[in-house]
Amino acid sequence: MTETWTAPKATAAEWARRNLFNRWYNSALTVVLGVFLAWLAYKLVVVLFGIDYEIIRRNLLLFMVGEFPRDQIERPFISTILFGLAFGLGAATAAASARHAAAEADLAYAAPTPRMLVRRFWPLLALVAALLAFTRTVMPTVMALSTILGGAALYFGARGMPRSMVRWGWMGTLVLGIAAFAVIIVGVDGGWNAWGGFQINIFLAIAGIVIAFPFGLLLALGRRSSLPVVRYLSVTYIEFIRGVPLITLLLMGVFALGFFLPEALRPGPAIRVLIAIVMFEAAYVAEVVRGGLQAVPKGQLEAGQALGLPAWKTTRLIILPQALRATIPAMVGQFISLYKDTTLVNLVGMFDVLEVALVVNSQSDFIGKRLFFLTLAFAGVLFWVGSYTMSREAQRLEKKLGIGER
Amino acid sequence: MFKRHGRAVALLAALTLILAACTSSDDGGSSETTAGETETTAAASSGGSVLAAVQDRGKLNCGVNNGVPGFGFVDESGEHVGFDIDYCKAVAAAVLGDADAVEYVDLDAQQRFTALQSGEIDVLIRNTTWTATRDGSEGATFLHTTFYDGQGMMVKADAGIASLDDMANTSVCVQSGTTTELNLASRFDEGGIPYTPLTFAENPQIQEAFIAGQCEGWTSDKSQLAGLRSNWPEDQGGPEALVILDETFSKEPLGPVVRDGDSQWAQIIDWITLATITAEELGIDSSNVGSFGDTESTEIRRLLGLEITGDDGATSVFDPGLGLEPGWVVDVISAVGNYGEIFDRNLGSDTPLGLTRGVNALWTDGGLLYAPPYR
Repeated sequence: MTETWTAPKATAAEWARRNLFNRWYNSALTVVLGVFLAWLAYKLVVVLFGIDYEIIRRNLLLFMVGEFPRDQIERPFISTILFGLAFGLGAATAAASARHAAAEADLAYAAPTPRMLVRRFWPLLALVAALLAFTRTVMPTVMALSTILGGAALYFGARGMPRSMVRWGWMGTLVLGIAAFAVIIVGVDGGWNAWGGFQINIFLAIAGIVIAFPFGLLLALGRRSSLPVVRYLSVTYIEFIRGVPLITLLLMGVFALGFFLPEALRPGPAIRVLIAIVMFEAAYVAEVVRGGLQAVPKGQLEAGQALGLPAWKTTRLIILPQALRATIPAMVGQFISLYKDTTLVNLVGMFDVLEVALVVNSQSDFIGKRLFFLTLAFAGVLFWVGSYTMSREAQRLEKKLGIGER
Repeated sequence: MFKRHGRAVALLAALTLILAACTSSDDGGSSETTAGETETTAAASSGGSVLAAVQDRGKLNCGVNNGVPGFGFVDESGEHVGFDIDYCKAVAAAVLGDADAVEYVDLDAQQRFTALQSGEIDVLIRNTTWTATRDGSEGATFLHTTFYDGQGMMVKADAGIASLDDMANTSVCVQSGTTTELNLASRFDEGGIPYTPLTFAENPQIQEAFIAGQCEGWTSDKSQLAGLRSNWPEDQGGPEALVILDETFSKEPLGPVVRDGDSQWAQIIDWITLATITAEELGIDSSNVGSFGDTESTEIRRLLGLEITGDDGATSVFDPGLGLEPGWVVDVISAVGNYGEIFDRNLGSDTPLGLTRGVNALWTDGGLLYAPPYR
């Protein structure tokens, strides 16, 4: 998508003449709309810089980590850095793997430059800069810089890895990812239940989709299985879960489980919420994957059989790679929707970012100050940046893999 | 694993039905929907002593609100603060000896009783109005009131409204799903005053509607109205722009709630509230609670669990048999203070709510706070 927009500057005036000023009424419309848009932009800037952000500045930590014990606050910071490293190593490994695959097939592979990355992730970087402007200590800035620079350094340093290292790259990514979670679970006062704020939304979204994916895959395969028991159980599960709103599963998991299980057998609320989300997502992922499976022509399966491959090998080596590739847009859509759905957990007593945005208005200094819209808009921006970035990345991936061009 | 899923499906189906029944009961606690719940509740609550469970766990699960100014909210550092929160701390101090051993569970109005029935929380201290239906049909036992509230009406000072009778053909803003909404309807219907209710989910939304002139009156608990009025934005005229009408048209006794079926636990919670009242009566507060070692007053010695010398010269420590360690009152008072301190800290004149004691004064000062003797 970046190539199409590098039109030479000389033609810009020409383009404007052709598209904006080609008739007298179009010219008039352009002028009127242009003035209106300029006025709107001016107003927006005035409002954005004129607002008193004190409620957000003072509650930034609450927005980010909720009630996480403040004497262990370095843990979320370390966790964020580890996430940045995991992300950098994961991206490097993926790039290396793509490069090797391209070399094998004699195709060109263009590695992204730092400039391209900045252009791709500018909303995220802008958000980080805006958040840092709200902080009063140096620690968050150190954390953000270590996260971004560490991740970038790892990406650029490790993406030239030889083929034999790719497997270790994935392993390292997994270890770093798990370590990032472990830092904010193990040894923390209250463990999982200490989590709150934006942290819990991100965690539930990532853990939800990662854990739900294998279950969804199995369910999708189960639904197409020739064994009736497996097929009907999969269908029943998928159709039942898809017929129930997520909020119902959450309410059941959190408030109704106590009617059936004694206290000793009940896991903590955060884990119950995660289980409910995974149960819910698995059914949806299953349907997305099934769509992908159906998109693979029957001839592919027959070709596998003709080669004498066993059924599981046909599935793993021939069907699934094609099916999963076709599901990327739908899967990202599912993930974005889950990411936003995680705000439902505030209805079952979790202190997530939306709940923070609502309740900070009850603090002594902010009662009746009409800051409701500001705090909600702030939470909205947090979600928008994540959703928009993911959506753009998915589009890029789609283009690269040539989905929809067949 | 598929087999297990199949069974889970059946269980889920059952759960969904139950849940549908639970969630449909609104704040007003309609008797039709709640009647069915009591059987389920009985099953869930037959789990032995709550006191033992809390002490085994080492933490008190306290159901609270995190968005009511003065009563329960979360401050910048993520700490729960408020009048109701202090009573959670008092319970933890009495039962566990540590006021910070509390796990706060933030609850919505709709889920609070379900959470209590299912054993998710040990005690509900979330400005919940004590009504007969809730006491009778929600599987809940309401305990000694900690705050006597009442519903009032706030109007703009320049609206020319001096009493509810002046409010014919006006719009009234009210929070949906609360007893407040029901009280509004009955008061205006009885008075034959035609009006239009405008319901909203949250106070900030009502505030916007009120400022925009969508409604002439704003009805809520008087404690909340007072807080809103004293913080009214200066660009809207400040507090003087608003008037809270004198009339109080409902009784809203707010206090702790526990599950039906464990009277020992209910008595403990009751006496924690009463101890804070008794302490104020006797002049014991968090700053002087340690200085009564030599006091002659048997009443104080009994309350604080100090040694009492009997007529025969033998010393003993008074234990009312509530199941708490002697001296538990000392833990409570040194952690949160007496009733007056709790009130002043969260709701009093130095706070944004700026409430006066009113009916929440001691009976000796003409209020409603009257604790039975601790003996």
